[in-house]
Amino acid sequence: MIADNRFGYMDHARQALGLIATPFHWLADTPVRVGNSLSELLVSRTDLLEENARLREELLLSRQRLLLAESLSVENNRLLALQNASALLEQEVLPAEIINVSPNPYSRRFLISKGSRDGVFVGQAVLEANGLIGQVVQVMPFTSWVLIITDSSHVTPVEVSRNGERALARGSQDDDTELDLEFVLPTQDIEVGDTLISSGMGLVYPKNYPVAEVISVRRSPDQSYATIKARPMARVSSTRHVMLVLDAGNPGYAAVVEEAAAAAGADEESSLAAVDSPN
Amino acid sequence: MAGLVRFNSLIVSSFIVTGLLAIVPMPQWAMYYRPEWVALVVIYWVINNPERVGIGVAWVVGIIVDALTGSLFGLHALGLALVAYLALRLRLRLRLFSVSRQASVVLVIVGLQLLLIQWLQFLFDLPRGTSMMFLAPAITSALLWPLAWVLLGGIVRSLDLN
Repeated sequence: MIADNRFGYMDHARQALGLIATPFHWLADTPVRVGNSLSELLVSRTDLLEENARLREELLLSRQRLLLAESLSVENNRLLALQNASALLEQEVLPAEIINVSPNPYSRRFLISKGSRDGVFVGQAVLEANGLIGQVVQVMPFTSWVLIITDSSHVTPVEVSRNGERALARGSQDDDTELDLEFVLPTQDIEVGDTLISSGMGLVYPKNYPVAEVISVRRSPDQSYATIKARPMARVSSTRHVMLVLDAGNPGYAAVVEEAAAAAGADEESSLAAVDSPN
Repeated sequence: MAGLVRFNSLIVSSFIVTGLLAIVPMPQWAMYYRPEWVALVVIYWVINNPERVGIGVAWVVGIIVDALTGSLFGLHALGLALVAYLALRLRLRLRLFSVSRQASVVLVIVGLQLLLIQWLQFLFDLPRGTSMMFLAPAITSALLWPLAWVLLGGIVRSLDLN
């Protein structure tokens, strides 16, 4: 029976049982939901006004940044067109809410409120306001499980935004809030404070989303690889709202495939073209 | 007849409650100590009403737990079937034990269940603990056994079902 599962024969049963599980998860989530709505109810008028003003200000600021970003992205697209590469277009996202976390303390997963009925599929990238948070690993009719990038079985292909140095970020074995960069040669230029963005290799995550910030780098002569730790940008354990990337037919992926094929030619990068799938 | 229906609905609702307890969100540190509520309830029913709850029921409950926790199908089913089998073998002795001695047996049964699950997780290369911490729920389960025993016994008696 378990063996069946490994080969995916049980997907339909899983879907059906997922349906049974949904009311359980809904019930288990109720205290949090009630708490949230209570705190929304009990908020005072002045607080609301204050928050409103603050949000308006933020909106203005982000509008202004968006304007800049738009002109930059137009310019970027033009440059990419000059280089004969297909551009990464803007991606549409589907908002979802985290309704439960995995009760298994050793696996870092959470349950979101969107399922196959909403068009969620396995392997879909999930974002948070500050960066990448994970990918969908199991889809049920109304809910789906998302594997977080800090899970020790999950590897995210990243690159340093400063210089394009590539690496693989695996969830740390001993600290569930950190990522370890694997197979980084001591000569590679990665420093503390560097921002890691998704490289788009492995074809799961879209390119150029912030993933993590390097917090420690240790190079010792007796080890063939540098020990580098990074902290995810996404507020992995405190957020409740996430976004699913709708990238079906995304032209950016074609560019990524080409790039990955080119990179596989170079001997150093060949090890980095590994797929970022769970397990 | 009505008593039978009521009794079965009590069993079902006890499993629903423990299913909820098994997935209720907890802080990360507390998750390592989350008691195996479902196993406790399975042991209770197997000891007291083996004609109603046996290995088969434990298996089905385990499948539902697997669906709830999003783990590999059959993982908790096998674990709970083992729990039910051990409790079934020991039930006549367990009934005569004091609650604290029962708790020590519960420690062993739940520990064996966790060990089986750990083995299976190793076999299928699933995420699992690398230290002996995976046995911590056995200790909390054993500590909570008296509570489960008194609570469930009290409910059964107050409903006058046996």
